[in-house]
Amino acid sequence: MDLLLNAIVGGLLLGGFYAAVTVGISISFGMLDVVNIAHPAFIIVGSYIAYIVNSTLGIDPILTAIAVLPAFYLLGQGVYQVFYLSFEKRGEEALRGLAFFFGLLFVTEVVLILVFGVDYRYVQAGYIGPTWRLGVVDFPLRTVVPCVVSILLVTALHLFLARTFTGRAIMAVAQDQQALRLLSVDPVRIKRIAFGISIATAALAGAFLIVIQPVEPSVGREYIGRIFAICVLGGMGSLPGTVIAAMLLGILENLTATYYGSSWAPAVAFGFLLVTLAVRPAGLLGR
Amino acid sequence: MRSSTFLMVALAVAAAVFAAGLLASRSHYGYLVFAGIVVLQYIVLATAWNILGGYCGYVNFGAGAFFAMGAYAVIALERLGRNPGRWLSDTYFELLIPLLPLSLPSMVAIGGIVSGIVGLGMGYLTLRLRGVFFAIATLALAVVLHTLVVNWDFVGGSRGHTVIRPARVAVGPFSLTSIEYLFLLMLVLAVLALWVARSIERSRLGLGFASIRDDELAAEASGVPTLRLKLIATTVSGALMGMAGAPLPFYLGYTEPNTAFGLGYSVNAIAMPMIGGATTWSGPLIGAVLLGTLQQIATVTITSVWNLLIVGVLLIAFVITAPVGIVGLVREFLRTAAPTRPTSRAVGLILVAGFCFVVGALGIIFSLQAVQAGSPGKALLGGAGLVAGALGLAASWGLLKLQSWAPALACAAFFASIAVTSGNLWLAWEGVIAQSLTIALSAAAILFLQTRWVRLLYRRHPVAVPVPA
Repeated sequence: MDLLLNAIVGGLLLGGFYAAVTVGISISFGMLDVVNIAHPAFIIVGSYIAYIVNSTLGIDPILTAIAVLPAFYLLGQGVYQVFYLSFEKRGEEALRGLAFFFGLLFVTEVVLILVFGVDYRYVQAGYIGPTWRLGVVDFPLRTVVPCVVSILLVTALHLFLARTFTGRAIMAVAQDQQALRLLSVDPVRIKRIAFGISIATAALAGAFLIVIQPVEPSVGREYIGRIFAICVLGGMGSLPGTVIAAMLLGILENLTATYYGSSWAPAVAFGFLLVTLAVRPAGLLGR
Repeated sequence: MRSSTFLMVALAVAAAVFAAGLLASRSHYGYLVFAGIVVLQYIVLATAWNILGGYCGYVNFGAGAFFAMGAYAVIALERLGRNPGRWLSDTYFELLIPLLPLSLPSMVAIGGIVSGIVGLGMGYLTLRLRGVFFAIATLALAVVLHTLVVNWDFVGGSRGHTVIRPARVAVGPFSLTSIEYLFLLMLVLAVLALWVARSIERSRLGLGFASIRDDELAAEASGVPTLRLKLIATTVSGALMGMAGAPLPFYLGYTEPNTAFGLGYSVNAIAMPMIGGATTWSGPLIGAVLLGTLQQIATVTITSVWNLLIVGVLLIAFVITAPVGIVGLVREFLRTAAPTRPTSRAVGLILVAGFCFVVGALGIIFSLQAVQAGSPGKALLGGAGLVAGALGLAASWGLLKLQSWAPALACAAFFASIAVTSGNLWLAWEGVIAQSLTIALSAAAILFLQTRWVRLLYRRHPVAVPVPA
């Protein structure tokens, strides 16, 4: 019973972190229809930036991530511009766009391996060691802090999308670009902004990742299946759906790891994705 | 060319390659046969990927997983053949004994069937959705299968598995070493894969595939049974990928999940057809021979991590600058430079562009090695070589795209290659034949680029980049 309770709470906390990892994909894939499978690569780059700053200057990884958010935003805009000019404008994004992002994912990973090697890297911060106990349930702070910040991030994004003009334009661009043009809004500019935001979230997600577990360059690949599973199950671009699906996957994965051993955990996410695609491709809160 | 004629020609070429391989294997160049097996393996893998990816437009990111399925099917069969720990009870095992030990070709066939079934199953689950979901599901499938194999003790789990190659194998009246035998087997598989791909391309099936690639909705509306065709494509493509991977345990000797499921296979399976040209059977062949050879050279001169980087960068560069790959570039070039029939001058220019690409790519690889070597003289030459190599790559693209700056840039790249090669010879008198050949060919290419025809061709088309709206 204690084990079960701990696994569920641990899964919820893990799910909070998965929400931060996925929210970028919910924007780029769910809303913009840009299949950015290189998203995990940007997350790992975020992790390594947090690691470098933490190991040289000793600054908190999450604060570092917040500081580099603008840089990631600009990076995302740049990547979208290349993608738009080379593929979307010519209407070739289906096959070649996918290959482009796949190449990006792969090149980033290889460059990180060349620079940092395949050693696991980790960070130091005050909240990484201690654990709160409530009755029989453990709350390890290294997952509580990312979970809380991540929920804040998703809430802020949700408010931004629902309340501001730009946010609503981003939601609209997913549905009807022509209508946006009639409002004299440039859909490409809106998509560029949205993609920038999506990559910016990767900086934070990367910092969370390296707080939760040691990181090496190829860790990102494990997250591809997870984030797309969550995004699809959450209903493609619905942020509340994303959080619910993330928590669900977190719990499921933690239960598997507790009862069957952690070497099976990666398969859970992917099996989850395959089942979702086969049974309910519209997701939980799908439109 | 009729399909049967093509098969005869392909078999004749394969026989010639095999004879060359035998010669290499029995002289001092035995390594060439090992390298040849890898290149052939990539030809099969890339051709297989192209049946689904190039013809139907459905991207499979899990080629490595299908490849590994073939390898692990063979490992499982091989273990089964030795019945370790009385895994089968004796009565059942005795029933099987007349069939054992399975020969390698039959194991390859079974490996192909297993991968084909996996492909069919996955296609059935995901092909009713948009193409993107299929792509993501293949990524997922790769990890699921990897996890299954890591946790499957019968084939060694994460500890890996060792297969002992037989010393010699008798093929008809000939006795071959096992590496020569594997080389022969891969050649046959390559011919088979190319023949299948070409036959599909020219049949009703191929037309159906092309209609799916161009507009699936329109194809469906005009009565093309899209789901059934896509399932056929995934099954055939999966089966061929499995066959490509099946000889791997015998080639490597020791197989463990991380090598068999290596990301390199998935990336190469995508990069080779994309770089060669994904809509024809010749694209994957060209891409696989080119990239496979470059990677073998990079592996022996620098490290294998660098050659993965080269593949990745080339993939990105090609999908952006040459959407239809090398085949597309050449076709487009011929359409403007020699509209009626391919003239010898146009073919010559294509060869010059190809040579320029090879010089550029090899220049970069060798220069990377020189930069890492440490001695200041070599490092300086290496730095110059890197710049020259990049110029060469850009020039080869420009030559085929009929850019007015291309001949001058190509000449600069060839001059640089002559300078760097002579510098190398001056520093160390080795590899004389290859290096002097490079110098001679570069000089010839420079002279060819000065002819009147070339000058007129590039003046007539100052900016000849058709950009479709």
